[in-house]
Amino acid sequence: MAADTGQAPEGWVPVEHRWLGLDRRTFAAGFTALAVALLLIYGFQGLNAAIPWHNEIRAGQVLDLGDGATAVPPVGWQLEHGTLTGGAGAAPTSLQILLASGGATIEIDGTTYDGSADAFLDQVLRSEGDTANVSGSRGSLTTDSGLVGVVESSTGPSGDAIDVAFKMAVGTTESVDAAPALLVRVRTAAGQFERYQDEVAALLRSITPGATR
Amino acid sequence: MTVVPEEKLAQRQAIVESGWGWPYRFLQPHNVAFWVYLLGVGGGALTMLRYFGQAASFYTPALAGGVVLFALYLVPWLLLLRHHNRFTKQPAGLLATGFIWGGVAATFWIALPANTALLSIWAKIGGTSFAADWGAGLTAPINEEWGKALGLVLLIGLAPRLVRSAYDGFIIGAFIGLGFQVFEDLLYVYNGATQLYGVDQLGSSLRVFVTRGAAGIVSHALFSAIFCAGLMWVLGRSGERKVLRGVLTMLMAMFFHFAWDDMGGLAGGSWLIAVLPFAIAVIELVALFYVLRHAARQERFWMRELLGPEVTAGVIDPALLDAVSGLRKDRKKYRKHLHSRSKARHLLEAAGDLAEEIARAGGADSPGVAHARAELLRVR
Repeated sequence: MAADTGQAPEGWVPVEHRWLGLDRRTFAAGFTALAVALLLIYGFQGLNAAIPWHNEIRAGQVLDLGDGATAVPPVGWQLEHGTLTGGAGAAPTSLQILLASGGATIEIDGTTYDGSADAFLDQVLRSEGDTANVSGSRGSLTTDSGLVGVVESSTGPSGDAIDVAFKMAVGTTESVDAAPALLVRVRTAAGQFERYQDEVAALLRSITPGATR
Repeated sequence: MTVVPEEKLAQRQAIVESGWGWPYRFLQPHNVAFWVYLLGVGGGALTMLRYFGQAASFYTPALAGGVVLFALYLVPWLLLLRHHNRFTKQPAGLLATGFIWGGVAATFWIALPANTALLSIWAKIGGTSFAADWGAGLTAPINEEWGKALGLVLLIGLAPRLVRSAYDGFIIGAFIGLGFQVFEDLLYVYNGATQLYGVDQLGSSLRVFVTRGAAGIVSHALFSAIFCAGLMWVLGRSGERKVLRGVLTMLMAMFFHFAWDDMGGLAGGSWLIAVLPFAIAVIELVALFYVLRHAARQERFWMRELLGPEVTAGVIDPALLDAVSGLRKDRKKYRKHLHSRSKARHLLEAAGDLAEEIARAGGADSPGVAHARAELLRVR
């Protein structure tokens, strides 16, 4: 008598294809996709971690802040993002520069903002909400080229921080308000800022607006 | 003994080879591809929540504006891709699975960490100027094209009978690419708002929408459609493996992605930057339709074989068969032949319905086939 094989239930896996409850016929597609995904995600991260930075700032090199604006970075720091003058060129309103040395970082970001440097710094801090750091007093700073910046420092368990906001122009209130904004953020481990104070101060003093401003 | 006519055999062969009519089921606990898919989408969703969650409340206007604008942007895209999901068309559930992979897993699980790492590697190897000029174009075509194509590989694991031809790869790739594009656009909306520290958030969303929306016409959906069609040629799942053609097609998609991302570097600061976007877009569209025509060959053949017995039975005339299994120019010719655009459209849709019912019934007669046949005769 011929046995009635009937209709296999949905999702039925023949016994010879089973392994730990899984269908072995699906291994090729599933594990190939998993292997390639893990290679892309962790392979590049591992390779990145294995390659050290060799982009040290040398004496005489100058950062391009876009539209002719410049700053002199501290010698020996690693330039991890951003370009030097004579390079690819930078846009002042979408500028991103990152310098690192030991555990300290200096981030320089350019953007558009209609208003004073003081109001710009308020907007930046508002956008980040409340932080764990204890806020310090706000002061002002004038660069060698006459740009006036607003400085706010803070300290807390996560480290020392200094934020300096500039409007990249000198002159009438109207022209300063309409100019691009620049934010310099310095971060160090707690109690370590003093080690970098002179280098940071020299960088801040060297910030120069473009000739057209 | 029953003699099965040759054309009926060919019809059944086409149904088996194309896999058309097989149901798509997402929930498959015995399938490894199902678990890898969940891992990818779950990992992507967590990364996405962490990314947007940091300051989501402050950037709500930008994000809400971006979601609304790009949801509207999806509508014409879905209509266009629905139009191209012809011949042995893919089920909506399968296409939605691909879309979610592209949007959540490929973007946030794979591309976000992989791109960050590879961009940093280029800066370390070639310096920050080199990375600024060429980093994006040397990164995204690798991580993003492969990340998206993994969605197709997983769909092959989830629906091996349904994903067979290069045209299947083309359509599924377009949906995966569309998902990637829209979710990446939301990332750009968020980044654009943070770049401005939350000033004029709706205006910032609108600007990103205009620029990314326009660029999106020849972006991820196109790259992935081409790349995945090439991958299907390499895999040769419809029986005919074309490795060289497949590899060249995949490389072409990666090259388009490179050219689009590194346009600034290619122009070298010259006037070319004003011309390149349009020149690259034209070349990409020509290549897209070239790939589409070649990828559709197998499907058109299956369609002819599937409806062959209906021609013999007099339900479908040869002109309608040419049109329903043909390209745009064949459908245009049929419209002219009938002197009625609406009648041609009705007949083409009815013939497509009949083919689908025949495939679903495995070539047998079923109430669905009888109804679709009657409908075709009614509108004829």
